[in-house]
Amino acid sequence: MTFSLLHATDFADRLLYKIVPPLKAGMIVLADRYAYTAFARDATRGVDRQWVRELYSFAVRPDLALYFRVPIDVSVDRLMARRVKLKFYEAGMDLGWSTNPLESFRMFQGKVLDEYDQLVQEFGLEVIDAKGSITAQQRYVRTLVAQHVKTSHAEMIDDEPV
Amino acid sequence: MTSPSEPGEGLNGNGLAGRYYGRGIPYLPIEGYPGKLIAIEGTDGVGRSIQIQLLREWLEVKGYGVIETGWTRSPLMQPTIEVAKSSNTLNKLTFVLLYATDFADRLEKEIIPALKAGFVVLSDRYIFTALARAGVRGVDRQWLRNVYGFAIAPHLVFYLNVDVKTLIGRVLESRGMDFWESGMDLKLGDDIYDSFRAYQVKLLREYQSMADEFHFRVVDARRPIDRIQDELRRQVAAFLEPAEKSSEPTLAPLTR
Repeated sequence: MTFSLLHATDFADRLLYKIVPPLKAGMIVLADRYAYTAFARDATRGVDRQWVRELYSFAVRPDLALYFRVPIDVSVDRLMARRVKLKFYEAGMDLGWSTNPLESFRMFQGKVLDEYDQLVQEFGLEVIDAKGSITAQQRYVRTLVAQHVKTSHAEMIDDEPV
Repeated sequence: MTSPSEPGEGLNGNGLAGRYYGRGIPYLPIEGYPGKLIAIEGTDGVGRSIQIQLLREWLEVKGYGVIETGWTRSPLMQPTIEVAKSSNTLNKLTFVLLYATDFADRLEKEIIPALKAGFVVLSDRYIFTALARAGVRGVDRQWLRNVYGFAIAPHLVFYLNVDVKTLIGRVLESRGMDFWESGMDLKLGDDIYDSFRAYQVKLLREYQSMADEFHFRVVDARRPIDRIQDELRRQVAAFLEPAEKSSEPTLAPLTR
């Protein structure tokens, strides 16, 4: 619970100082992770799903939410290739499922991925196959973003005649 | 980001004593724990601390295990809250969430283990203080109640009720008015006296509005300390030892 609430506090602070002002100014805000991360992670830690959603009901609903999906094996391979030490909470070590960090990571993040799959339906996240090449992913992301940016840009011109 | 929740899922006055008010903490079932949770509520400077200290001594003499818990006293959050208060970055949302985090920490680490072990938990303030302060600051009431749905409904809630005039006298005689207790962040007035008065009037109104819903036992806190203590002891004894109520000896006057 404290883990969940601390992250919500941090999120509220960033929302009010870093997200809302640029949105009001008509800028594009790119958020690396959003409330969905909390929904997936906190539910895996045993916090009530509905409660977390209500907790974050002060959040702005994104115009576009992208979910980069990879199987747990790919995720583990990539992390192992880059570094050896897994972070304590990232590996869900606080849950005491396994004393082996890698084993714990696999179990914890595996469940987090299951939660994300439910979120895709519930919140209409755009799924990007993150197994593929970065170029292919980026092309797809640009197509998705372009649709949104063009639409809103056109609306703005209509709304505010010079 | 979600549709407004259905009423009754968050915090409301229908909570059974010793159970979670709302959705609770799924990984911490608390049904059947033998301990008792007694909350002493009331605004800043009303005299909660002395009453709790006296209650504690009395309960311990009677053989109860007692622990105290108080607002913003969690080892995890106290330093953070102090830092946040001293800077000017707090807004009403982060204010609420920091308090909620502190409360969650104390609930998991102090209150629930103590209830499990059969202690009497004396809570110096409870979630109603958070609801009142946030309510005065215009935070959405339904959202607040959902957030605090993980709280446990106390077995007894005593509300130390006072009028603003008496309160001002007491606070000035003891430690003076402080920035947050005067609601200076609300910019109700430049003068700390005016601000304290206006803020506390609003706070008292918020507490009052919760009295029926959450079954406050309203105690007239304008009276002398030992009179208030007598009333608290009478009610606590009746709750903890209902069978012995008739044989309860008359409480000796307090010597302080």
